[in-house]
Amino acid sequence: MRIEELRELFLSAPEATSTRLLAAVLGVVVVVLILWLVRTRRLREEFTPLWVAGAIGLAMVSLSFDLLRWLTTMIGAWTPSATIFFLSVAFLGIVSLAYAVRLSRLVIDVKNLAQEVALLRAQLDESESARETAQQLREHR
Amino acid sequence: MREASPDAAERSSRRGSRRDGMIVIPAYNEETRIAGVLRQIADADLGVDVVVVDDGSADRTAAVATASGARVVRHPTNLGYGSALQTGYKYALRNGYRLLVQMDADGQHLATEVAKLIGPVAAGEADLVLGSRFLEPGSYVMEPLKKVGSDFFRWLAAMSGLRITDPTSGFQAMNERVMRLYATNFYPVDFPDVDVLLTAHRSGLRVAEQPVRMLEGERASSLHSGWKPLYYVYRTLLAIWVASGVRPGTPSA
Repeated sequence: MRIEELRELFLSAPEATSTRLLAAVLGVVVVVLILWLVRTRRLREEFTPLWVAGAIGLAMVSLSFDLLRWLTTMIGAWTPSATIFFLSVAFLGIVSLAYAVRLSRLVIDVKNLAQEVALLRAQLDESESARETAQQLREHR
Repeated sequence: MREASPDAAERSSRRGSRRDGMIVIPAYNEETRIAGVLRQIADADLGVDVVVVDDGSADRTAAVATASGARVVRHPTNLGYGSALQTGYKYALRNGYRLLVQMDADGQHLATEVAKLIGPVAAGEADLVLGSRFLEPGSYVMEPLKKVGSDFFRWLAAMSGLRITDPTSGFQAMNERVMRLYATNFYPVDFPDVDVLLTAHRSGLRVAEQPVRMLEGERASSLHSGWKPLYYVYRTLLAIWVASGVRPGTPSA
């Protein structure tokens, strides 16, 4: 058997109904979970687009095996499962990079807020001790 | 930013009995050494206020500093050396200080050398003055690895037209223009270094150096151990590259 034939064999393998069903259910569960988390105010709306896109992608790929096969040929993978793994890793990479960007901004925000608290507390301490000194002076007189 | 345009009336009412200059000392768990540093400053009779920024110490740093007569600003949590310095700049700007000297809390920087740094800033000859260990040869012996890093950064700075001998010196004096620049978000939270100096240089601020004597510091040696130097060089290179792309604009006088 030549190697191209082997690849053809991989690509034309009939889709397993159980796998498709599992992926579709997983996609739906993730979407529902995200919506529920947003509704119960545990997940902010602006964090959801990536996850919803990922879940919809999973559902689409599991519903249309032709799409998965087309993707597999496009990216030069050998098996549809390799395509799924590749897309998952890419998805996770993008998600963590997005979080790293967000974290970088939060570091600055938290630093500025903590500095503000420190400066305000110092100001409060100083005006209080100034008031006490004034009070003592008045009592002394 | 708020620091850039403090309300004049508010500023004058807060001035109180403040002097024109202040020394900022970032301190993290320095209860054993901070009192000595503060005593040296008091003995030097510099005519400036002293502000200790306690960077979320777990020990009695803040209490010791207060007892020694310093004004104390306490971070609610540990934010890093750079952030502590920056809190000092923000404090100085809000309270109308026109001149600021930064020193380390470990006794590495000597109070007797502060006047040398203040001189050119007070005279209007420079905006930022660095205390250099290397302007007078043979005065300070550096570990070989640190020397290589220091030389490399010095060479990098020279490439941009900034001629300095001691780019890693944390002993500096500056005026309001520098404080305004340093109070912005580009300022690193961990270790401000040659990248910050280059940004100041590019913003049109005049950077000068004065020869000073320094003692061996423990902060520096703990920073330059293990994998940290490598990360440090990497981070500084990256910061220089970022700084070369962004013009923060000349801070208004």
